[in-house]
Amino acid sequence: MGGSSKRATLVKRAGLGLLAVALLVIPLFSSDFTMTMIIRYMYYGLLTISFGFLAGELGLFSLMTPVSLTLTGYTIGLCQTKFDIPFIPSIFLAFLVSMSFAALCGWMADRSQGVSFLMLTLVFSQLVYSLALQWTSMTNGTTGLLGIRFPDALEIFSENTKVNHYYWTLLIFGLTIFLVYRLITSSYGLRLRGIKNSETRMAALGYHTGLLKWSAFMVSSLISSIAGVLFVYNTGMINPEIMTLNSSNQALISSILGGVDSVLLGSIVGTVINRTLELTLGSLTRRYATIVGALFLAIILLMPEGLISIAKKLVYGKDGRPGRPVGGTVQGQSAEAGDGAGGTGAGLRCVTPGGSPEEALASGGPGDVVSSNDTEGTEEKGGKMRR
Amino acid sequence: MKKNTAKVAAMILAAAMVCGACGGGAADKGGAADTTAAAQDTQKAQDPQGAQDGAPETETEKAEGAGEEKAKPAEKIKVGITVPYSGFVANLGENAVNGALLGIKMEGREEDMELLIEDTKCEAELAVTKCSKLKEQDGCLFIMGSVTGFEGDAQADWLKKNSDVIFLPSYSATQDMTMRDFSPNMIRAGWTADQVMFNFGEYIAKEVGYKKIISIGADYSYPWGQAAGFARGFMENGGEEIKYIWYPEGNLDFSSIMTQVSSMAGDYDAVFLNDGGSPIVAFWKAWEQYGLNNKFGQIIGGTNVADTNVLSEVSDGFVGVLSASFYSDGDENAANQAFRKAFIDEYGYEPDAVAVQSYDTIRCIIRGLDAVGWDTSDQQAIIDAICALEVTDSPRGSFYFDEYHNAVQNVYVKEVVMTDEGTMANVIKKTYEDVSQFGPYEAYKEQYMQFAEDARDYPYTTKDAYMEDLRKVMGDEYVDALEADGGWKH
Repeated sequence: MGGSSKRATLVKRAGLGLLAVALLVIPLFSSDFTMTMIIRYMYYGLLTISFGFLAGELGLFSLMTPVSLTLTGYTIGLCQTKFDIPFIPSIFLAFLVSMSFAALCGWMADRSQGVSFLMLTLVFSQLVYSLALQWTSMTNGTTGLLGIRFPDALEIFSENTKVNHYYWTLLIFGLTIFLVYRLITSSYGLRLRGIKNSETRMAALGYHTGLLKWSAFMVSSLISSIAGVLFVYNTGMINPEIMTLNSSNQALISSILGGVDSVLLGSIVGTVINRTLELTLGSLTRRYATIVGALFLAIILLMPEGLISIAKKLVYGKDGRPGRPVGGTVQGQSAEAGDGAGGTGAGLRCVTPGGSPEEALASGGPGDVVSSNDTEGTEEKGGKMRR
Repeated sequence: MKKNTAKVAAMILAAAMVCGACGGGAADKGGAADTTAAAQDTQKAQDPQGAQDGAPETETEKAEGAGEEKAKPAEKIKVGITVPYSGFVANLGENAVNGALLGIKMEGREEDMELLIEDTKCEAELAVTKCSKLKEQDGCLFIMGSVTGFEGDAQADWLKKNSDVIFLPSYSATQDMTMRDFSPNMIRAGWTADQVMFNFGEYIAKEVGYKKIISIGADYSYPWGQAAGFARGFMENGGEEIKYIWYPEGNLDFSSIMTQVSSMAGDYDAVFLNDGGSPIVAFWKAWEQYGLNNKFGQIIGGTNVADTNVLSEVSDGFVGVLSASFYSDGDENAANQAFRKAFIDEYGYEPDAVAVQSYDTIRCIIRGLDAVGWDTSDQQAIIDAICALEVTDSPRGSFYFDEYHNAVQNVYVKEVVMTDEGTMANVIKKTYEDVSQFGPYEAYKEQYMQFAEDARDYPYTTKDAYMEDLRKVMGDEYVDALEADGGWKH
């Protein structure tokens, strides 16, 4: 068992390291367009992660993920094009606006579940959409705000604007990913997944589930806001199109393509595939929406865990789950069954420092998870919850 | 079984990812596939590498018999076109592409030029990304822009950061693209929303005699421009008031607007409809359902209201609708007849103004290249050559370019009539010749650009406010002359 896990960790670390190096050196030899594409993956990727954080960790499907992006974008755009506010205060202001709105919406939306949560978030997103579309003296209607320029003071990485944009985007993207990763692997992440499995139990155990849900909503909005900063400075524009229902759907599709339970990796893989198809298939055939639709359908039917399940199979062996021997001799004790030794074994491993959120997730429910360092409470309660 | 399907799916996806992720190589495959769309017969004998810096390394001249000596490019000229193939104006996107393809064919340049078609999904962000793709990956020198105003605006903004392409809008008609925000590498063989409406406003005020108008339109830059041009012509020639009603772009439910308009019957003379495509059809249905055709006179329309694709969808009650455009499908000049016949033969349906514009645009590119011997090394020389063109065999009549690279052309006031075959078509009621984008303000360009930008509530909509603003910008002399003459002089 230990061997397989070590191998998996090694494979993953090597993979991540290679990817990081590749991303760092890409501007040295690639074409401008490769950078354009990667930058695009990054801001849309963050949008998907914002969706995936709520969907994967908390089981809440939000249709208002692009709202924070839009609010941030519009605030930055207005600050620059209409009010001539320097970029640092304008970014602060942008976060203030989008997070205040998110705080309010979160407070209301988190009092609901499932379909009603979906509908409430739809209402909020339509609210902002209509505002952006119809407050034309401020937002310029459908055309939106154009000509938003990247701050000159940030031209530090390279003379080439594209390369400079690329590194800034990569830096912020990397930092955000790292923070989200830490959140997911922390005990906070465990509590969220506890709510996902059974909110009433978590409440009965004494957790303030409302506050937890609200805070997760805020985290999701924060990620989306960061995506907004990247979006607006890279594209130089912001318009209501980015927060139509279709835009929310793109985040949802990307997330499900990659694997909704895999908040980071799944979202990124899904976004890359979705946006790549959009750009490449679009020039080959007019029917690319049909192809994406068929693909989406196929993945839902054949791989409910998303494309990331393929990667997991490659890393962990056939059954695509950590914590079991490659040969599969102890199938009976699987974590899937959620009982006894297998479960505990998986749980112990999944909190090995450096273990990925996927590992933690794939190991089953919170019942399997034993917290390693902080909050014995979680351990105890987590254990109880199983019974 | 299940495992296998999963594997197949994985392989397909892996292939897709490889296609997208790696830059140049795979892209040229895409380009080659487009070639088939552009020129069905030509083979994909394309060099997969030499896109960007175009050293003439491959086979060049193989002078295709047929007598006349045509200059040949060192390698196929790539022209990118970004149009919406989905979204609420998808049909316009298709027409733009077909017009351009027909233009290449009619000029006999299928072997020298290929059209790379990109879908914008009617999203500004994607429209701009596709421009980057065409420039950075496919190495296009010429990019034809999109059809809607907001995509065009975004692309014009992109163009400011990318001076190494020549950009020609497909149908975007926002005035400022070739005026206040002029870019030296943009050429518009088309029109501005205001340009075709100045004289229409004048026509409605003077010759139809309406005094008060309700203007109903989609709430974005193109209809604002149309309304602004109309308002200037209308107000300066005797109109008294315009009441604006704006609805969100792509709106198809007009019931609340109908109720509102219905209550205003009697106070206003007519309704000016200001949009295009499927909303017009939906509007007309509601208009008849609410019986407003009995309460008001016939509607008057913006440029795209009486387009051929609308005429085939609406009821016969549409006969009599007045509109204005730079092109009339019923124009009897020989070039238009030949164009329409060729288009219908090729694609099986009637062309519209979008097809005409992209047809003319691609022909301008070809003739500009003819003038420089198909040498693409000097971008400025090509721009100068195109802007010096005077196209006399356009389906719209003839046109040339002004100093801001926008077409100067005839503007036609058109009326919908029933033809002998029982279908509706436009006939020309009145022609205003050689109208520039400044319209009647040709002699006052500097002052005109002092006006605020067109907006949903500007120019002002009552006579007094309008005249006051006009006096402020154009000066007392202009306004006094206007009042003395009772309108514009021709």
